[in-house]
Amino acid sequence: MKNKSPKNLVVNVKNLEVFFKKKQIINNVSFQVYKGEIIGLFGISGAGKTTIIRVLTCQIKKKHWKGIVTVTNITPGKKQNNSKILEKIGYVPQLELLNLYYDLSPLVNVEIFASNYGIKKDNALKIARDLFKILDIPEDTWNNPLKNLSGGEKKRVSMAIGLIHKPSVLFLDEPTTGVDANKRYDILNYLKKLNRKLGTTMFIITHDLEAALVCDKTAILREGKLLEFDTPYKLISSLASDGQLVRFTIENLDEKIIKKIKQYPLCKDISRTGNNVIEVFIQDLEQNYSNLIEYIINNNIKIISMSRDIANFRRYFQLRIKEEEEKEFKEK
Amino acid sequence: MYISGLVRKELGRLRSDKRTLILLFTIPLILIIIFGLTSGGGPSGFFRAAIITKDDMDCFGDFPSNSTEYDDVFISIFQNNLTSFGLETYYNVSNEFAYNNAYIECEQMLKNEIIDVFIVLVENFSETIENNVNTELLYFIDASNFDAIKSINVSMLEPISLFKLEIGKTANFSMLIPYLEFEVPFWESQVLNYAFALTIPLIIIGTTMNLSCLSIVSEGPLPRMLITPTSKKSIILSKLIANSLIMILQAGEIFIATAIFGLYCLGSLFELFLVFLAIGLCGVSMGLFISSISKTDQQANQLYMVFFIVVLLFSGQFVSVGSLPPSMKVIIYSFPLGYGIPLVLDITLKGVSIHFGLFSGLLIISTVYVILAYLSYLFKKVEV
Repeated sequence: MKNKSPKNLVVNVKNLEVFFKKKQIINNVSFQVYKGEIIGLFGISGAGKTTIIRVLTCQIKKKHWKGIVTVTNITPGKKQNNSKILEKIGYVPQLELLNLYYDLSPLVNVEIFASNYGIKKDNALKIARDLFKILDIPEDTWNNPLKNLSGGEKKRVSMAIGLIHKPSVLFLDEPTTGVDANKRYDILNYLKKLNRKLGTTMFIITHDLEAALVCDKTAILREGKLLEFDTPYKLISSLASDGQLVRFTIENLDEKIIKKIKQYPLCKDISRTGNNVIEVFIQDLEQNYSNLIEYIINNNIKIISMSRDIANFRRYFQLRIKEEEEKEFKEK
Repeated sequence: MYISGLVRKELGRLRSDKRTLILLFTIPLILIIIFGLTSGGGPSGFFRAAIITKDDMDCFGDFPSNSTEYDDVFISIFQNNLTSFGLETYYNVSNEFAYNNAYIECEQMLKNEIIDVFIVLVENFSETIENNVNTELLYFIDASNFDAIKSINVSMLEPISLFKLEIGKTANFSMLIPYLEFEVPFWESQVLNYAFALTIPLIIIGTTMNLSCLSIVSEGPLPRMLITPTSKKSIILSKLIANSLIMILQAGEIFIATAIFGLYCLGSLFELFLVFLAIGLCGVSMGLFISSISKTDQQANQLYMVFFIVVLLFSGQFVSVGSLPPSMKVIIYSFPLGYGIPLVLDITLKGVSIHFGLFSGLLIISTVYVILAYLSYLFKKVEV
């Protein structure tokens, strides 16, 4: 549990609105981030994740946004304030190409960026070596041109660059994009490791819902609005039966069968997750679990296997977005 | 501002781009070698000559004495190790009949390429020298070889100079080549030095502009730099410094190479080097400007070509600046070579000091382009 005293407040966003040419991009967003937290910003394309990060990283001029925003207790906007904020934050862009000089070695790359913060070469190299060790970047690659490193290694060098000046907050834009499936978890693990060792607050903008595994809090954005901002656990618990679900493998599963199961009076939601697999949320799962099974059997639906589980963040995200879309549809 | 780190970064990037660096330093060298060694070593060939002297024939007219000794001296000059001429034969004729025969023989030899030129010393050759009046020197060149005409014209200066030295007189020769004021002496690398004023500034501008024209547009992590305390001003400044350092090295290389291959400079070498640097600075700043207004590498390369052609066309070498209307003069003086070439010519061939106005013109142009580069980069939309 992070210490939520005001002095540990790293990012404060209250009633943030962002406009570009009279078009509202961000609508009344508020959240608070405390020291050492890992925040995941989730949302489909155009949700406004990047815009929020751009406000926090002083990339959007003050005339385009209103509301209360502080980053490390400084309000972005004025030139001097921006400069102070930029000294205290780190940034890891989505594409390594935007962060790395491929013809130069990892150590030289780090040294270049360190010099922008006034860090002397010797000190920069010392910090770089420490970070490279934490990030398991092989020592024999430290002095070779970066273009010879693997994609995962480049990603980690990019992270090291973002951390070279020991920032209070590190913003990571899609850190797992372009990395193969097993490496994705490695990257997330490294982020957690860095967070634990250095105590750096992290903002992760991502489409990758698995990233919620390492997040202390997750924010779900849709069309410029912040739908949720809480711990993944609390969000999942807000689902029917505290996020518990029943997973069925059903013979010859088709839309007709799904429709039939949906008609079960206490069914809250149903998702097809495989050719023959569905996940069902019902009200008061503990009490009604056996009734559901009975209902399915009575309707001549053949169950091959079944299990009980807790919904993951992906499922929560899908349901929450679906709920919002339905709400919007009804309003229209 | 943390300039030193950014400059180190720029130098590191430039150093890693081996291909560009090699081109940057080898192109000038190759051109200097071509101009200086291949065809530029003074007289550009060795020619076989024949001489017909009519000096022994009677001359009529205005001269008090009747000297005949100078034709022998002239012939002996040709007989004694000239670097550009070797004497095949000579004819001492004392009447028109003998002259006609000698002329026919020489023409035949010219036709058969036994000789490249034959020279006729007229009847009053010695008398005109004795009396310090213009001496006529006729020479006949195989005009089928266009290059030989020019080369022999230049090479003729050698025996004439040695002849003047030998007789201790400064007799003039009426020749078909103009007497050039502030010319490159025949014993210097003429082709190199005549080409020098246009080609060297053009090489410096072209290569430095090429080096810096991609420096902003092609640097992927540059927008990322702006999410550090680094300002756009520092970025432009660091690029200017780093590219200028490379340019100084390049100018130094050109300077040394031209010296090795026969740089002829009457004026101060230091001032000439300063002019090189000012020209190079213009190239760097124009390149930065191109880079700041370009959205892609391709666009920058296209703009570079446009700028290069405009710089060349408005160098003042293709049209006489003096004859242009004022509006056109303004265009020529908006580009660096309009200042650079006269400065180089003044220092090397006339030996005068740096012309303050022209030199300031170069510095103003480079400053203007740096400011323009900064402004366009300042308002350029940069996002990570």
